Amino acid sequence: MARTDYQSSLEELRDDVLYMSEVVAERLRTGLDALERKDERLARDVIEGDDEINEMYLELEGECVDLIALQQPVASDLRFIAASFKIITDLERIGDLAVNLGGYTLDAQRDLFPDVDMQLIGMTTLEMLEDAMDAYANEDVDACYAVADRDDEVDAMCEAASELVVRDLIESDYLEDELGDDAEIESLMQDVSRLLLTIRDLERVGDHAVNIAARTLYMAENDDELLY
Amino acid sequence: MTDSQEYAAGESTDDPTTDDMAIETDVSDSVASSGATMRANTVVRAENVDVWYNDDQALQDISLEIPENQVTAMIGPSGCGKSTFLRCINRMNDLIDAARVEGDLYLRGKNVYDDDVDPVALRRRVGMVFQSPNPFPKSIYDNVAYGLKIQNKEGDYDDIVEQSLKRAALWDEVKDQLDQSGLDLSGGQQQRLCIARAIAPDPEVILMDEPASALDPVATSQIEDLIAELAEEYTVVIVTHNMQQAARISNKTAVFLTGGELVEFDDTEKIFENPESQRVEDYITGKFG
Repeated sequence: MARTDYQSSLEELRDDVLYMSEVVAERLRTGLDALERKDERLARDVIEGDDEINEMYLELEGECVDLIALQQPVASDLRFIAASFKIITDLERIGDLAVNLGGYTLDAQRDLFPDVDMQLIGMTTLEMLEDAMDAYANEDVDACYAVADRDDEVDAMCEAASELVVRDLIESDYLEDELGDDAEIESLMQDVSRLLLTIRDLERVGDHAVNIAARTLYMAENDDELLY
Repeated sequence: MTDSQEYAAGESTDDPTTDDMAIETDVSDSVASSGATMRANTVVRAENVDVWYNDDQALQDISLEIPENQVTAMIGPSGCGKSTFLRCINRMNDLIDAARVEGDLYLRGKNVYDDDVDPVALRRRVGMVFQSPNPFPKSIYDNVAYGLKIQNKEGDYDDIVEQSLKRAALWDEVKDQLDQSGLDLSGGQQQRLCIARAIAPDPEVILMDEPASALDPVATSQIEDLIAELAEEYTVVIVTHNMQQAARISNKTAVFLTGGELVEFDDTEKIFENPESQRVEDYITGKFG
């Protein structure tokens, strides 16, 4: 095979993107664990680990730019590099969202709305991320569509969870029970906001997983059907 | 040469409109006889063209249509036949004794291999620029006017020379030294002088065989810019080993592979982003060749 160094560089990029995705998935899992267990140490681990993900992102961005500038890739190679370039952005953003989970864990003052199954939403988005990256690794077109289909499930769970929070807040005796001085009310409202932001952030993780699947589909088949 | 011979080769009348009308008639005849359809903007059409050099087949069953006022690039590994095909269009292969061409190759519907076509007249309609700049050992002015003089073409030579040099993006650099030898120019200037010489007789098609391969990056970029401008008035067909150059400057790309086979011919974006053929994919991504 000609251009062996170039082909090796492409394989290296694929391996590096997959490694970054494993680190990001691990951070998301840790963020969810931190939320579940209210574990401040885990929360800090996620927050402090963000620099590592950002560095990986910049390094991989450089790899992509170097390949484009020095090797003038075309056809499937070009689509692979272009897709990887976009996918690392989605991975970096998922890393940021995991950091948010750590921040919510540290800032939360009380347990609210135990009926909201944040772990189920979170684990579903984590599975979507892992499935999208498996699709990337194997150029699996069917898996790309499956990830996109699953986003509807996540959106429905997030919408239901948000409605549950708002409805309970209005209809239940929660406010009356908790109402105290202004500081107490403000603290409660901040916890409610954090809960809603957590739901929104997990929904965004699902969106980024769909982006990864869409770029993978473009990479594998030059098909932009899932892009927008 | 008689007027009728000139007419048959499409050269001829001072009235290009009349010439075009004659050509349209030829198109209809050709389509009727071949049963093929021809897009209105097709200038060159090859049908089942085979070329042999003695017993070696250089091109196999080539069929394609080259559109008007666009840049069509021919790419492929060495020995794949892309230059051979280019030279079929203006019958330069006639100059090689061992070469034999079969099949049909039409210029605006007229088969250029018909017995009544004069190759010299054909080459006035289909100009050519070669890999190495090859100006004549004459002045810049005479290099450009050479084709006009040997045709005894009437007209304002000064104006034609100036317009040709302007179209070749060389006028501003040489307008004060038209008496200077063309050989004194830089490599890039010499190649643009050759382009000016090729366009002075006002051809319809310009064939370019690796026109920038002997030039430095700056001169190459000037030639590439010039090719894009030329395509506004002429149909340009370029052979290049430089795939990035083909990607940068062409509208259509034909990929020839070893054995003289045309494997894929499509819009350049399609060829370089998502080719149909795995062999083309492997070639352009450097997996072989």
